[in-house]
Amino acid sequence: MQVNDIKIEKINDNLWEIPKTAGMNVPGRIYASEKIISQLLNDEALKQVVNVAHLPGIQKYSLAMPDIHWGYGFPIGGVAATDFYDGVISPGGVGYDINCGVRLATTSLNKNEISKRIKTLVENLFKDIPTGVGASGAIKKLSGKEIKNILTNGAEWAVQNGFGNNEDLLFTEENGRLKDANPNSVSKRAIERGLDQAGTLGSGNHFLEIDFVEKIFDQEVAEIFGLFENQIVIQIHTGSRGLGYQICDDYLKLLVQSEKKFGFNLPDKQLACAPIQSDEGQDYLSAMKCAANFAWNNRQIIMHLAKKSFQKTFNISEVELNFQLLYDVSHNIAKIEEHIIDGELKKVCVHRKGATRAFSSQNKTLPEKYFDVGQPVLIPGDMGRYSFISVGTSKAMDETFGSSCHGAGRLQSRNQALKIAKGKNLIEELNKAGVTIQAKGMKTIAEEMPFAYKDVSDVVDVMHNSGISKKVAMLKPIGVIKG
Amino acid sequence: MPFKIIDHTADVAIIAYGNSIEDLFESACLGWKFISLETQIENFELSKKFLFSSSSYEELLIELLNELNFQLYANKFVFLKINKLTLTKVDSSIQLNVEAAGQKYNPEIHTIKEEIKGVTFHQIKIENVNGIFQTKIVFDI
Repeated sequence: MQVNDIKIEKINDNLWEIPKTAGMNVPGRIYASEKIISQLLNDEALKQVVNVAHLPGIQKYSLAMPDIHWGYGFPIGGVAATDFYDGVISPGGVGYDINCGVRLATTSLNKNEISKRIKTLVENLFKDIPTGVGASGAIKKLSGKEIKNILTNGAEWAVQNGFGNNEDLLFTEENGRLKDANPNSVSKRAIERGLDQAGTLGSGNHFLEIDFVEKIFDQEVAEIFGLFENQIVIQIHTGSRGLGYQICDDYLKLLVQSEKKFGFNLPDKQLACAPIQSDEGQDYLSAMKCAANFAWNNRQIIMHLAKKSFQKTFNISEVELNFQLLYDVSHNIAKIEEHIIDGELKKVCVHRKGATRAFSSQNKTLPEKYFDVGQPVLIPGDMGRYSFISVGTSKAMDETFGSSCHGAGRLQSRNQALKIAKGKNLIEELNKAGVTIQAKGMKTIAEEMPFAYKDVSDVVDVMHNSGISKKVAMLKPIGVIKG
Repeated sequence: MPFKIIDHTADVAIIAYGNSIEDLFESACLGWKFISLETQIENFELSKKFLFSSSSYEELLIELLNELNFQLYANKFVFLKINKLTLTKVDSSIQLNVEAAGQKYNPEIHTIKEEIKGVTFHQIKIENVNGIFQTKIVFDI
C-alpha cells in the first residue's frame, strides 16, 4: 500500500511495516487493523513514524501503537528506544504534559450500592477536586522548598503529608518517584507555574471517572488485580500541569538552538534532541524526571481527595470502603530501561508518547502481588462507552520495548466535534447512556463526547490479538468530572 | 481575519497571515488569543514589554506565543493587542521588541476556551506566498 509517498507493507492482520528509506535509521512498525490504518490515510501520523526513525541511536523500529494519531514531532501512540550511550533524548518524544498518566483505584462497593447516590457523589468530587484551566488550591499553596521536595521525591511527598499511605507507592510505576531528579535543572518559571497546581485535575481530556466492572475476560488475573464484576472503581487521568508544559517548552527551545552544535538534521524541529550523555541531554532528563515526580504526586493527592469524597458521600469508614490503588501508569515519558536487543541486554531510553508501559510477569520492577501475572495496563476509552484493563506480556518485551496502547485516540478534531454537538443536549445524551457528568463548561463536554473518539475496543483488540497486552476486564463509566 | 483555524486531529492549528513578518507575528498573537480566551470587556489597563533574540524568525514567533501563554497562567496577564512590534537584525541575530496591551485576568469577564500547553515547532515555516507572509502554527492543547 502506498500512502502519499510512504510505502506500507502488511506483516499480518495487526501489524504493518514502513520499510527503511533514505534518512531513516530503522524501519517503522505500526500495530493496527485494516480499519485503523484506513483512518490514518489523510493525516500526518504515518509521516511522523518515518520522521522518528531518523533519530540518532534509535533501536529496532520506530513503533506506533494502534491508538496512533497525528501529534507533533512523534505521533501520539509513538514508541522509540534510543541507545543510552550513543543515542539521543527528545522532549518531543515525551510531549508537553510530562508523565500524563492514569491511575485506577478499586473499592468494596458495587454498582447497585451507589446508583441512587451517584449524582451526589459526582457533585462532591467536583467540589473537592479542583478542575479546569489554571485550577489551583487543592492543598495550600506550596513554598519553594516544598515544591522542590515534590520534584525530588514525587508521590512520597503526598504520602508523607497525609495524602495516602505507603502501600499506594508500591502500586505506582517507579514507586511514584524517578531517582536523580535534580530541581536545579528546572527553571524558575516552571516552578512558578507549579506552585498552586499540586492536586489539580486540569482541563481538556483530563478526567476523574467512576466506573463499574462490566465484564471480566481473565478471571485469574482479575482476582489478583482485586477486581470483581459490578465493582466500583475510579480512574484519574492527569499529568504534570503547567510545570511540565514549561519544562518541555524550556528544553525544546534550548535543543532547537543546539541542533547545529550536535550536527543533527532532523525532518521536524519538534524532534529536537540531544545526546543522552551530553550536558543538555542530562539536564533535560533530570528536569523531565522532576515533572514526572510532580505528576505522580498530583495523582496521589487527587486519589486521596477522591477517597475522602466517597467516604463523605456514603458515610462509611476507610476500612468499609477498602479503597485500593490497583496501579498508576505513565503514558508520556522517557525512561532508562534495559531490553534484550539482538540477543543482548542493552540499556536504552524508551520514549513513550501516548503509550503505556506493559511489562510482563517476572519483571523485578513489578510489585510482588503482580510478579507472576504482569503489569496492569490501564486504557481509558471515551466517557460514554468503556475502558479496559489489560496485562503486559513477554511479547511486549520482545517486540515493543514493553509498551502498549494508552487510549482510544481522537477521531474528530475539536472543531469537528463542536460542529456535531451543536444543538444537542449533551448532558441528557450522556445521562441516557447511564453517565452523570459535571464539568466546568459545555465546550469541554462537546469536545470530549464519545463520537469524537475511536472505539477503544478496536485499539485494545489489536494489542490483545497481537499478544502485546491481554484483556483482563472492561469498565463502564457511570460518573465523570472534567475541567 | 488575519489567521485561519485549520483542523488538526488532536490539537489546534492556525495559519497566520501578514503583509510583513511583523504583521504575521501580530496575526499569530491574535490567533493565540482567539483559541485561548473569550473576553467580555476589554480595557487596556496593563502593558508589558518583551525582548527576544534569535537567529530564526520561527523561533522568535514561538517564543513570543509561549510568552503570552506564560503571562496568562503564571502572571494572570491577559493579552489583548499588540501596541508595538519591531524586528531588527543585529549582526547574525534578529531582535524582537514587543509592547503588548492587556488586562488582569478576571474569571468574571474572561473565559478560558482552551488551555494551550505549548506552541510547537511542528510544521512552522514562515514563507512569502505571492507577497503575503504566512505560516502554520500547531498548538498543543
